Amino acid sequence: MKINPLQRQLNLLDYALSSLWRRRMKNGAILAIFAFVIFLLGSFQLLSQTLQSSAEELLAFAPDITIQSLVAGRQTPIAANKIRELADMYGITASSPRIWGYYFDHDNGANYTVLGLTEEEIGAMTGVILESGRLPGAPGEVAVSPAVRQSLDLAGRSAFSLFRPDLSQASFKVSGLFSRETDIVTGDIILMSLADARHLFAMPEDMVTDIGVKVANPVEIDNVARKIAGRFPETRVLTRAQIRKTYQVVFGWRSGFGSVCLLAALASFVILASDKASGLSREEKREIGILKFLGFQTTDILALRFWESVVVAGLAFLIGLSLAYVHVAFFDGGLFKPVLVGWSVLRPDLSLAPSLNGADLLLIFSWSVLPYLAATIIPAWRSAVIRADTVV
Amino acid sequence: MAGHMGLDIELEEVRKIYNQGRANEVTALLSVSLRIAAGSMVCLRGPSGSGKSTLLSIIGCVFPPSSGRAVIGGRQISRLPDHFLGRYRRELIGFIFQRFNILPQLTVLENITLPLLPLGIPPKERQQRAAPLLEKFGIGHRVNFPAGQISGGELQRVAIARALINDPPYLLADEPTAHLDSHLSMEFMDMVSTLKRAGKTVVLTSHDPLVSDHAEIDRIIDIRDGRLV
Repeated sequence: MKINPLQRQLNLLDYALSSLWRRRMKNGAILAIFAFVIFLLGSFQLLSQTLQSSAEELLAFAPDITIQSLVAGRQTPIAANKIRELADMYGITASSPRIWGYYFDHDNGANYTVLGLTEEEIGAMTGVILESGRLPGAPGEVAVSPAVRQSLDLAGRSAFSLFRPDLSQASFKVSGLFSRETDIVTGDIILMSLADARHLFAMPEDMVTDIGVKVANPVEIDNVARKIAGRFPETRVLTRAQIRKTYQVVFGWRSGFGSVCLLAALASFVILASDKASGLSREEKREIGILKFLGFQTTDILALRFWESVVVAGLAFLIGLSLAYVHVAFFDGGLFKPVLVGWSVLRPDLSLAPSLNGADLLLIFSWSVLPYLAATIIPAWRSAVIRADTVV
Repeated sequence: MAGHMGLDIELEEVRKIYNQGRANEVTALLSVSLRIAAGSMVCLRGPSGSGKSTLLSIIGCVFPPSSGRAVIGGRQISRLPDHFLGRYRRELIGFIFQRFNILPQLTVLENITLPLLPLGIPPKERQQRAAPLLEKFGIGHRVNFPAGQISGGELQRVAIARALINDPPYLLADEPTAHLDSHLSMEFMDMVSTLKRAGKTVVLTSHDPLVSDHAEIDRIIDIRDGRLV
């Protein structure tokens, strides 16, 4: 008699489904734990990918080349008049001074990023969306994110003050509120004029922290950077590509560390699953014996077990990944955000739009479903070779 | 399966030794030679441990003999690997167990059609094949009942229907009446007698006189200590 292999597999799948349902307590428990492990792995991967792509967005606001002064290998203020010396360099369309520093707020333990830009640069920030108000124009005006406003405990007020190094106070007024959509870029930023930033940090009149350089031809960025480094050997010249690489290394290290921890959890689960699958009950052994007696081959029992594992793993994958998506999209990946974005930087109310691609899905699949299927092969084989005569 | 009708069961110098070469080695059958005519009904009779279930298992392609020649349905099954035995068993043998070995959580229909699953028979055809058997054995009204919830008599009929679902030429039953009352035992014998009359070769093991003394039994084979008496 000619056997239809497809219908045979469908029959076995059908039986596997009914078998899973008959042992729903045991299989439900495995499914729940497995889905949870995939949820953890998926959330982590999703969050780290989302943050990495958000970091890319951040770079859109960085200049093509950033010049910083170095003394003994450490960053020091750089003379703003170097801009004049850059003017005659071929390929550079604009150079502007900027003050980029950090302000630690003792009251709530938050670290704000203070960004002081020239009027022209603030005016050119077309990519930044404001929820309300306007970008700083007049002296003392700042733009902050809703998170910073909350952290400063401004309530209905717009005026606040920050301490200068000599503990005198610098007063500011919130002129605009960044949109939550750009939180990844603006979440911890206090944007102000260059003069206000200089005043806050008490920097000398002709000094800044960075010089931003704009290059006409993006292909020439590396060449221009090399020329600048040659002319000013005492400086550090960073291109956007180098900053991108730094972000990737930082996120890569953090996500790698987290992944190792989660893989340990997955390994524990796989051992548990394998152990569970090995421990066949008397009833299960009897059932397999009966099936073998009735003409099921060893390969049929293996196929049955395989389908059972595929259904459990597939369902767990879908459930776990859906939960991970919800966790990242609607709860901002709260469980892992501190690990990935760091504890010392203020990143409240980070609203993330998860970016998930085929490669990520494949990665999570091969970290979770494949080990589970592999772990259940040997127990499946053990059950499949139960002899038909055990039921006689 | 009609091609196998009319083929005798032949055993020549068949021996069966369990756990051969080990400390717990047991010789269950000693040089058994036997021919069972096609279409007959035979009772293998003997006390517990006499080797009748082992003999039935060899005839039923459950395992091959340790030595000797066994031809079932025209096929030499001696020294065949498990894979082929399973295939022959599926095609040639309908087996009824002492305790029926029905899966209690499956429905009556699912139990009866279980042997059709690895044959790649679609659900609709499985139902169609089961329908006349359900009708014949009077269990049509229990088709979707879990087998664990039906009576002993119905369970017995489910077991027979399952054994016949592939329309095998040989029907084997191991102590089929051991756990049945006399009424159900008679009912069982009447049902297998009908099958014998339909051309099936029926081999039963039993020490129940209700079986061995039944009018349709063509031959009684006595076994003691692994030998035919």
